[in-house]
Amino acid sequence: MRCKDPIIVVKDLYVYFYTYAGIVQAINSVSLEICRGETYCLVGETGCGKSVTSKALTRLIKPPGRIEKGEIYYYPEPGKKIDIRKLSEEELRELRGYEISYIFQDPSTSLDPLYTLGYQVAETMAFHKVVHNIKDGIRKAVVVLKNAMMPDAETRVKAYPHELSGGLKQRGAIGISLANQPRLLIADEPTTALDVTIQAQIMDFLRKLKEKEGLTLLLITHNMGLVAEMCDTVAVMYAGEIVEEAPVEILFKNPMHPYTKGLLKAVPVHVGKKVTLQSIPGTVPNLIFPPPGCRFHPRCSYKFDPCDKKRPPMIEVEENHKVACWLYEKKG
Amino acid sequence: MAELRRFLIRRFLTFIPTLIGVTFIVYLIAAVVPANPARLWAGGQKANPQVIAMLVKEYHLNDPFYVQYYYFMKGFLENSMVSPVTGYKVWYEVKTYMPVTIQLTLISFVFILLIGIPLGIISALKKDTWIDATIRVVALVGVSVPIFWLAYLLIFLFFTKLGWITLSGTPTPPYSITGIPLIDSILKLDWHTQWEIIKRYWLPGIILAYPGIGVIARLVRNSFLDALGADFVDYVDARGLPKSQRYRHVLKNAMVPIITVLGLQFGGLLAGAPITETIFGLPGIGRFMLTSIYSFDYLSLMGGVFIIALIYMTVNLIVDILYALIDPRVRY
Repeated sequence: MRCKDPIIVVKDLYVYFYTYAGIVQAINSVSLEICRGETYCLVGETGCGKSVTSKALTRLIKPPGRIEKGEIYYYPEPGKKIDIRKLSEEELRELRGYEISYIFQDPSTSLDPLYTLGYQVAETMAFHKVVHNIKDGIRKAVVVLKNAMMPDAETRVKAYPHELSGGLKQRGAIGISLANQPRLLIADEPTTALDVTIQAQIMDFLRKLKEKEGLTLLLITHNMGLVAEMCDTVAVMYAGEIVEEAPVEILFKNPMHPYTKGLLKAVPVHVGKKVTLQSIPGTVPNLIFPPPGCRFHPRCSYKFDPCDKKRPPMIEVEENHKVACWLYEKKG
Repeated sequence: MAELRRFLIRRFLTFIPTLIGVTFIVYLIAAVVPANPARLWAGGQKANPQVIAMLVKEYHLNDPFYVQYYYFMKGFLENSMVSPVTGYKVWYEVKTYMPVTIQLTLISFVFILLIGIPLGIISALKKDTWIDATIRVVALVGVSVPIFWLAYLLIFLFFTKLGWITLSGTPTPPYSITGIPLIDSILKLDWHTQWEIIKRYWLPGIILAYPGIGVIARLVRNSFLDALGADFVDYVDARGLPKSQRYRHVLKNAMVPIITVLGLQFGGLLAGAPITETIFGLPGIGRFMLTSIYSFDYLSLMGGVFIIALIYMTVNLIVDILYALIDPRVRY
């Protein structure tokens, strides 16, 4: 156990999507632990299963997707364990948006265009019985939006999403997600759709919020800069599997998995001498027919004998630094 | 609200040029037909020249057509314009025949709403099952089958074989509030007349509605599925809102395109009314207009055109208002 006081523990999770083309093995034996109060990052390319993993945490996977197997535990308080997979739909509903909240990538599509921002804040509170009714909620929404750094919150409560800019919309969405003061906030690429200055503001806000409220943050991103800036622990995902997990300084200083190395070489660095950016050869595999053994082996330059036959185990190479790669088998 | 009033005033003002435009074009078409209306009206080959001369003078037939148009509109609106063929005032004829058509289109419209919308929703909820497939075939048939063919088929079944319908006369109650028996009998709670009207009108109503039912069912299915797949629905789920609230968001978003098409459908019903009325022997404005065309009574025809254009515009005004009420992105 990495954490003394985990808030989420996932063990051996499998999520499959049953499509016409075949069964997409989107998540393949993912295990992770998020410690209370930390910022845990999931990084990886588009389609590697970051979002699916985060949605699986509260069983938000919709058909044709299905959680095949695995255990998901949520600890609202130290020592109090809730088995997410055994909860009823109603119990899950009470959990979502109250204890565990989400922020999605694109605020212009995640807000309903036909309702005011105030209404959408209010309904989130009202259906978790934080306020008595929608009307009461709309009154409280001003405070909620102010807390989410919404300028001029009194008038913005009555605004419809199309009347707000992208940055304001995301602040609104953050306000909605934080309205019930959740313990765990899952931010799925919260700034990808925004421009850089607003990105910085929002990230700054999330960091301050964490310090103030003791919130746990699960940040999903493909932006390595954001990872370096925000995260405590990083898990690198590739083709539905976690290939490496480490505290952020260790991961950047000493990346071990060939995929992580490739990923870091593909990030522009603005200080020091000029280094040519490198891309990882090949493309993400089709997860209906995933490569046997290590899913990364067709693109890996270190490939050797067991790679295309047996799946590498998670090897703890140093304290809290785990990597799924045959290269480190003997050393670990 | 001030905006809404301005919008309404503006829309009412556009009624006038539209009405003038529609009637003027129809009048133009009637006037350029190379025929001698006065001779036709006076009795054809054996017509008395004196009568012809009188008609020419009375209806300004030697004047250019726009002058004729002016005199027609003036006479029609002052209720002094008399049809040269029937001898009745045009306004009186319109008032006599209109209630039948209004009842027919209202009943058809109710059928479209009560059958088309639920079929579409069921189809969307049971997507890609045999239920969905059946509904889609029924809808496709509705769009493609000519209504006169269907009408005779169902008359054979329900009138000749089963005797479930009446095919002559129209129930008229002894009282009159709005002049439309269907609405009057509802206001008076006169269930007997109500039942008589339904017995007379349900089959023509459903036949007139059938193509519309097909169009609406398909549209509802698609817009419902679009709304269900929208990102904000995922966000509604992620916030732990109950199912009822989820359908509230989905339905409201799905209504936007549906309302627009319902307005157009009403126009389709008015256009289809002449055929249905003729087949079922209903003395409505559609059949009256057809008869007027046969007897070259374009003055009566113009009365019908005027009133139908007015109804169509009113319905679409209501649609526009509903549209703006539902969707904040459409403001006046």
